[in-house]
Amino acid sequence: MNNLKGDRNLYIAALLLCLALFASCTAEKESMYKKSRMLMDTFVTITVVSGSADEADEAIEKAFSSIERFGGLINFFSDKSEVAEINRKAGMSAVKVSPATIDIVERAVYVAAKSGGAFDPTVGPVTKLWDFTKKKKPSGVRIRNNLRLVNYKNIIIDRDRQTVFLKEKDMLLDLGGIAKGYAADLAVINLQGNGIKSGLVAVAGDIRAFGSRPDGGEWKIGVKNPRQKNGSDEIIARISLSNKAVSTSGDYERYFFINGRRFHHLLDPKTGYPAECCRSVSMIADEGVFADGFSTAVFILGPEKGLGLVQSLGMDAIIIDNNGKIHATPGLEGRFEIEENH
Amino acid sequence: MQSRDRYRIALLSAYAIALHGFESLLPTPIPWLRLGLANIITLVALLLYGFRTAMMVTLIRIIIASIFRGTFLGPAFILSFGGGVSSTIAMGLAYKISRNLFGPVGLSLIGAVSHNIAQLALAYVLFIQRIEAVLIISPVILLIGTLSGVTNGLVSDFLIRNILKKDGDKFQDLARE
Amino acid sequence: MRRRALKEDLRLKKIIKNITLADWTLLLVLLVVSVAGIFITKEALPRGTDVTIEINGEPAYTFPLNVDRTIPVSGSYGDTLIEIKEGRVRIREAHCPNRICVKQGWVSKGVIICLPNKILVIVGSGGGDKPGKEIDAVTG
Repeated sequence: MNNLKGDRNLYIAALLLCLALFASCTAEKESMYKKSRMLMDTFVTITVVSGSADEADEAIEKAFSSIERFGGLINFFSDKSEVAEINRKAGMSAVKVSPATIDIVERAVYVAAKSGGAFDPTVGPVTKLWDFTKKKKPSGVRIRNNLRLVNYKNIIIDRDRQTVFLKEKDMLLDLGGIAKGYAADLAVINLQGNGIKSGLVAVAGDIRAFGSRPDGGEWKIGVKNPRQKNGSDEIIARISLSNKAVSTSGDYERYFFINGRRFHHLLDPKTGYPAECCRSVSMIADEGVFADGFSTAVFILGPEKGLGLVQSLGMDAIIIDNNGKIHATPGLEGRFEIEENH
Repeated sequence: MQSRDRYRIALLSAYAIALHGFESLLPTPIPWLRLGLANIITLVALLLYGFRTAMMVTLIRIIIASIFRGTFLGPAFILSFGGGVSSTIAMGLAYKISRNLFGPVGLSLIGAVSHNIAQLALAYVLFIQRIEAVLIISPVILLIGTLSGVTNGLVSDFLIRNILKKDGDKFQDLARE
Repeated sequence: MRRRALKEDLRLKKIIKNITLADWTLLLVLLVVSVAGIFITKEALPRGTDVTIEINGEPAYTFPLNVDRTIPVSGSYGDTLIEIKEGRVRIREAHCPNRICVKQGWVSKGVIICLPNKILVIVGSGGGDKPGKEIDAVTG
C-alpha cells in the first residue's frame, strides 16, 4: 500500500507538470488577417496582425472606408471631386477644399520642388494628349503648346483660407502620381488609431508596412521584374522592411510600341515625352506619399541624378536602369536580396 | 502449433473481420472517426492467449478484410497494415514490460495511439508529404483515438471477465501463461 | 428486473475498478494533449486567401478564395468536384470509398485530404511553400 501511495504522488506530480506545460503553450497567438478590395480604381490589400479575427476585420473595414473617402476627394476623373473643382476654376478663382486635399497638394508641391520639377502634379495637360490604350503619340507641336501649362509653381495654396488655386486657365492638377502612397499612409494611421500594432497596406504597388510580422520578422516585399519573362508577377528582388513605405514607378504599366520604341506613361514634365533612362524605380521612404512621389521623380531624372536626389533626401531606392542593371543605395544593405535567377 | 491454437486464431480472426466489416457499415457522423472495434479482439487475444496469437489475428484480419473490400496492397491497405501491426506490437510490449501497470483500458489506449501515429507517419511519408497538413489533423485523430481507445478498452475488459468467469479454470490457466 | 439491473451495475463497477492509476494518467494526458493540440493548431493557422490543390503530391492549381468556382479534378476514383464559394472551399463530390473529404464540409483554413484520390486541398495565404521565402506584398 505504501508503495502504491508513493506511485500515486509521482503520477500526480507528473500530471501537474504536463498540465502546466500545456497551459503555457496555449497563450493567445497573433495571426495575419488579409482582405482586398477595389478602391480608387485599383486593388487595395490590407494585412493586419491581430489576436482576434473580429478586431482585425473591423479595423480593415474602417481603413478601407478611409481610403474610399479620400479617393472621392482627389479623383481626377470624377466631376464631383475637389480636384475636379480646382481644375474647373483654374485661372479664375481659388477653391475651398478639405484638409486632406490641402495636405496632399502641399506634399505634391514639396516633392516637385525637391526634385526640381522632375515630378510635377500639373503635368496633366500633356498627359491627356497621350492615349496609351489607343496607342497614339501626339504631335510635337501640341506637346510644346501644352507644356507651357505645366508648372507646379503656379499652384497657390492658402493654408489659412484652406484654398487651392491654379494660376493659369486650362492648367490641370493631377494627384495620381502621389495619391496611392498617400492613401496607404491614411490607411495606416487609421489602423493604428483602431489599435492595430502591425500591418501592411498595399494600394496597388504602393505599400506601407508598420510593426512586424506575427513571427517577429520584418515584412517581405517583392519588387516586380520590369521585363516579365513568364507569369505576370515575376519578382526580381525582395526587400525586408518595417515602419517604411515602398513605391515603384515602372515603364511597364501603361505603354505602347512604335517601331520598337517604348512609349510609356511616365512623362518628363520638361519635355513632354517619356523618360527613357530607367525601367523601374522602387523608392523606400518613411511615408508612402513620398515613396510614391519621389519614385516618379527619380525615374524621370535617371539613375545618376536620381541616386543623387535619393541620397540628399536620406531615403533609399532600387533603380533598374535601361540596361537592366540594378542599382541599390547603401542603406539597403542586408535588407535587400536579388532573386537567384538574375 | 496446436490445433486448439489454430482453432482459436481462426475464431478470433473471424470475429475481428466481422467487427471490421460491421464498423465500415456504420455511418460516421464525424469525418476521420474510426472506432477500431477490431482492436478489441486483438487486445482480448493478447491478454488471454499471448502476443503471437494477437499478431496472427491482426494480420489475418487486415489481409482478409482488405481482400473482401478490394483494397489489398492499395494505399488503404498499407495504412491499415502499418497501423494494425504497430498497435499490436505496442500493446504487446507495454503488457510485457509492465504487467500490472496498465489494465485493458490503458493497453487499448496505447494501441489506439500507436495505430494513429503509425498511420499518420505512413500517410506523411507515402502520400501527403506536407508536415503542416499532418500536424493539423493529428490532434483531432488523437482525440478520437483516445475516446475510441477507452471504449474498446472497457469492452475488452468486460469480454475478458466474462470469458474468464464462464470458462473458469480452463482459461484462467492459459491467461497466466 | 431490479436484481438484474443491480447485477449489471456491480459488473460495471468492477470494470471501472480495474482501471489502474496508470490507465487514468494515460487517458488524462492523451485528452489534454489532443484537446490542447486542436486549439493550438486552430489558432496557429492563418486564415487563407487562396486554395492550392495538390494531386499525387504535386501542386496542380492555385485559386483565390474570394472568387467562386467549381473545379473538377480527376483522381484514382474518377472525378472529384472541388467547390470554392464565399471564401470557403469544400469537396462537393467524390467517389472514394469513405468520402471522408466530402463529410469534412466547408473549410476556410487548414486542409482537406482525400487519400484514396491522392488529392490535397490546402487553404493558404499566397507566397509558396518554401518557408521564409514567402512575400507579403509586391511593389511595381
